[in-house]
Amino acid sequence: MLKVANISKSYGEVLAVDNLSFTVKPGEIFGLLGVNGAGKTTTFRIIMGLLDADQGEVTLNGKKIDYSVTDKIGFLTEERSLLTKLTVKEQCLFYGALKGMTKEKILKRLDELLERFQITEYKDRKIKELSKGNQQKIQFITAILNEPELLILDEPFTGLDPINIELFKKEIIQMAQKGSMIIFSTHRMEHVELFCKKIVVLLCGRSVLEGYISDIKEKYRKKNIFLKADIDKEKIKKIPGVIDVIEKSDELEVKIESSDVVDNVFEVVKKAKNLTKFVVEEPSLNEIFVAKVGEAYDK
Amino acid sequence: MTSKLNFLINMSLGRKIKTKWFMISNIILAVIIVGVINIDTIITFFGGDFDKKQEIYVIDNTQKSYDLFEQQLRIAEQTFYPDKEEETYDLKLYDKNLEEAKKLIEEDTSRWVIVFDDDEENAIAATLVSEGYIGTFEYQLISSAINNTKIALAINETDLPVDEVAKLYSPIEIDRVYLDEDKLSEEEGIERIMSTVFPVLIFPFFMLVISLVQMIGAEVNDEKSTRGMEIIISNVSPQTHFASKIIAGNMFVLIQGGLLLLFGGIGLLIRKLIGEKSILDGFGKEVTSYLNTILDTGLGEQLIYIIPLTIILMILTFISYSLLAGILASMTTNTEDFQQLQTPLMIILLFGYYLSMFASYMEGSVFIKIVSFFPLISAILSPSLLVLGQIGLIEIIASIIICIVFNWLLIKYGLKIYKVGILNYSSKDLWKKMFKALKN
Repeated sequence: MLKVANISKSYGEVLAVDNLSFTVKPGEIFGLLGVNGAGKTTTFRIIMGLLDADQGEVTLNGKKIDYSVTDKIGFLTEERSLLTKLTVKEQCLFYGALKGMTKEKILKRLDELLERFQITEYKDRKIKELSKGNQQKIQFITAILNEPELLILDEPFTGLDPINIELFKKEIIQMAQKGSMIIFSTHRMEHVELFCKKIVVLLCGRSVLEGYISDIKEKYRKKNIFLKADIDKEKIKKIPGVIDVIEKSDELEVKIESSDVVDNVFEVVKKAKNLTKFVVEEPSLNEIFVAKVGEAYDK
Repeated sequence: MTSKLNFLINMSLGRKIKTKWFMISNIILAVIIVGVINIDTIITFFGGDFDKKQEIYVIDNTQKSYDLFEQQLRIAEQTFYPDKEEETYDLKLYDKNLEEAKKLIEEDTSRWVIVFDDDEENAIAATLVSEGYIGTFEYQLISSAINNTKIALAINETDLPVDEVAKLYSPIEIDRVYLDEDKLSEEEGIERIMSTVFPVLIFPFFMLVISLVQMIGAEVNDEKSTRGMEIIISNVSPQTHFASKIIAGNMFVLIQGGLLLLFGGIGLLIRKLIGEKSILDGFGKEVTSYLNTILDTGLGEQLIYIIPLTIILMILTFISYSLLAGILASMTTNTEDFQQLQTPLMIILLFGYYLSMFASYMEGSVFIKIVSFFPLISAILSPSLLVLGQIGLIEIIASIIICIVFNWLLIKYGLKIYKVGILNYSSKDLWKKMFKALKN
């Protein structure tokens, strides 16, 4: 289990991470969310031992993370950390050896991964000759080459098209199923909802929201109703508990304070002509994120 | 961690040596070094006017000067070119007038014409005709021969016996007396070492230091700018990474230095094989003469410890420069910044180089002696002063100890800067960050 306990880090007078704590269990995919500059990369650097925390501790399976355990960790940095003058094979041999892998094992695993990511033809090509998307694939392959117990992915989907995002997602889920702990950062909430169970939302280095996504959504209480009917939106706005009504292309999105308001809305809407849709949905993570971060900013 | 250090050293060294450019540059170096050592043979092989005898046409209107002039010219040749076996001048008696002789010069502009005429006041008068300028040295030689011809004519007109005349013509042998014979041979040996052996060692050292500094800087900057450094440092400690760069860099310069010596050896061997035909002395003769001069002075015994101490000091200085290059490169964010930072290092090196040259002219300079203890410079300066007899064994050992302490300080404090610097991508508050790193 990865345990991050009360870590803080400041750069001069700027507090980059403020008393942050979370845990990631084997098989869990954990999302570290936040706007740019929220402290995600600093947190990852502290976990990897690239930065010393001013206070707090990071442990992996009860042991402080140092160079004796880094062979069990895979790390994908936010900006591409590729040795672009090398070929794909040379780079993987280099990084694999740094993870303590033998040459034979590296080459076998590399062939497997190149096959899985459909880029076998790039094995002997120089990295600088590859497209941004393929470079990102190579970076991901390098990070998972050693089949890590803990995989840290800092903005892994940068520069990828939807098809490749699916490829990454499939691989990440498979690794989690095999028992790896996966922690990744993004500011794209739709990616988090795809496969994360647990998140921490950071703002100015502080956690403003944390826990299992289902619990977060449950606690958030607010719901959205999507309806199609010939009705004046001002009429719905007047219903107590309705926060806002947004007119979309051919439907209305009604934001309500809690599920208790659903019946009241339905009572009004059912009298309208041409009622063809009335769907109650949980708010998206993006919505919760924007709301929570907004609240935190206001405070 | 040791295996990772070995791996990083092999990787770093392999990236420098197992490249086609390393091979190509060494082939070029080998060709240049062998070529420079045998440059006289190459020049001779291609031929040219330099080995053509200087043609001199003599119009002797006095009917008595030609033979005497030829005799005096040969004597002058022997005096001016004592080591030359062949004659330099091809002398021809010309029986036509000056106008005709000028046509000869028009045909071949390298020809000279000398006209001897009777002169009432000065016995004979001479005219030297050439297309253009005649070098001062050669003009002196010709002028000396002409003047001696006049004297010879005068002597011939006296009734001196033949053996007396022969004595007058023979050059005077000057017997040089040196009050301190040891000092003479020692100074000759020192002069030879300073003018030949020393530049041969210093120049490659200079070149290798520049190459070492640039190589380490480029490598660290490359890993930093591609952010590959983050992955590397997340797997090996900055200490291991730093050590791998320093060891690999120094191994590279030692290999390259060894190759330069090998190329030099091959050049000398080729010179030995073909040296007999060269326009300079043969290889064996030269080396034997040099070795004899050095050994006669007693410097041979000193060289037994001067050479190993110089090599130790050079290796320690390579390490100093590589440590500094690594530390400076970690602080910079791109190669351009590093290039600016390496300029002061090169100036320090040049400073040492020039001081070692001044050392022989400014014997006993206290300033030069003090500076010879400075790390980064001592490898160039201390051995020079030791050869010149301006410092002793104790001083050079002191330079070595100072260099070791300097390197230890660089490792101790430089590592703190390196650890912070290699993961720093901004030049904002750079010095503040570095001083903070030093305090930790």
